Amino acid sequence: MRPRRRDFARAILRSFSIQGSWNERTMTGPGLAHALAPLLARIHTDDPAAFRQAVRRHSRAFNAHPYLAPVAIGTLARLEFDGDDPDTVSRFRSALRAPLGALGDGIAWAGWRPFCASAAAIGFVLGLDAPYAAGAFLILYNAGHLALRIWGLRCGWRSGRSVAAALKRAPLRRLERALVPANQVLIGALAALLIGQLPATGPAPWREGGAVIVALMGYLVPRHISAVAMASLLAACAVWLP
Amino acid sequence: MTGVELTAADWALACLLGAAIGLDEVSWPQAMWSRPLVAGTLGGTLFGAPAAGCLAGVWLELVLSRHPPFGGARHPETGPASFTAGAAYAVAGGGAPVGVVAAVAVGWAAGWTGAYSVTLLRRVTPRLVSRPDGFRGGAAALARRHRLALALDGLRAGLLVAALLVPSVLFVRLVSTQPTGAPGPAWWPVAAGLGLAGAAGVAARGLGARARHWPALTAGGVLGTLLVRWLS
Repeated sequence: MRPRRRDFARAILRSFSIQGSWNERTMTGPGLAHALAPLLARIHTDDPAAFRQAVRRHSRAFNAHPYLAPVAIGTLARLEFDGDDPDTVSRFRSALRAPLGALGDGIAWAGWRPFCASAAAIGFVLGLDAPYAAGAFLILYNAGHLALRIWGLRCGWRSGRSVAAALKRAPLRRLERALVPANQVLIGALAALLIGQLPATGPAPWREGGAVIVALMGYLVPRHISAVAMASLLAACAVWLP
Repeated sequence: MTGVELTAADWALACLLGAAIGLDEVSWPQAMWSRPLVAGTLGGTLFGAPAAGCLAGVWLELVLSRHPPFGGARHPETGPASFTAGAAYAVAGGGAPVGVVAAVAVGWAAGWTGAYSVTLLRRVTPRLVSRPDGFRGGAAALARRHRLALALDGLRAGLLVAALLVPSVLFVRLVSTQPTGAPGPAWWPVAAGLGLAGAAGVAARGLGARARHWPALTAGGVLGTLLVRWLS
């Protein structure tokens, strides 16, 4: 039976907890099966054994970016609905993992999230009240977050086997590429603003030199600088406060 | 002594909020109230100083952004850490500039402690839901186990805040309440600035920047400096 609108709604709501039972053996597999269950229950209404088998199959190892997991949910539900054999569904499931992970990491974790956070942080440093800055971040960020989840489920369900082509057509990569330089500007500005707030004592005129320092450190700091060294520096600063 | 008193009721409320914030980070719903900016503000708000908490959160945004959670990479847990740091800075009064540096150090340490607690929890979770050939118990049993895993993660985060809040408050308060006239090296703002700039540089590169993007980082730095000059 074809899933109803409320089945899709339940699937997308459950997708918010897709990493709730993340583990190193099956990763988000159990979460994926949990999110797919409302759709699978409708598709296999007349065959409880097939429903149980489908839940078991989909709880095997799987991983994807959580915001793009709805693409996998929609696609896999479509394949189940179209009556594809379990081996084909499993192969498709495996093939979806890497692209959805890489795309989601780029667009959400490295793109949209730092963009929204840096913009809100700059707003706060420039005088926006803290609750408004935090609220603005949550509203702006989650507008994109929710849109991505809903689009993903629709894209997966409508595209089915041709989901790869649909993902390629979507402007996600272009958006990711555009966000990289935007984030550089925002991070540079935020760092210079915070440096400008430090007391203007010591050997350097901090309020004037923020940009130079940011640029210099951007070039000079080794890529894998020890986090311990960074924290030790901050702790030392704290302890030696005049 | 500056700041506000930390009562048992505040501590209990902080643990509940910490659980909700920790749950958001990975398990549910990833709406990012676990980001340092928001979690720090919540920690500050709980003790009547949202701006102090937010300032600690903004610093931590830069310092902790050098570890984006790509793939299965280990990364510090930002939510409970920033909440604790924001709360500690707020309880300490939120005034002394060095207090925020102390709060950031607390946030960094709490972030990695949280990461370790997540690793420990994930040794338990496979026993609840994971079978290489698929979960055999059916959809209803899977849903129950899944919800149990969610509850355990929330409990873990709440316990983390419960354990770290009081020591963090004591540390930040101790650092923040040193007499302003006490002797000390004048270079600490220099070191803090270098630390911030370094964190920004590493975070910028960690977010997918390539060599051709460094002019954008420099332009941002110039823009920020101009804004500082304009505002001062």
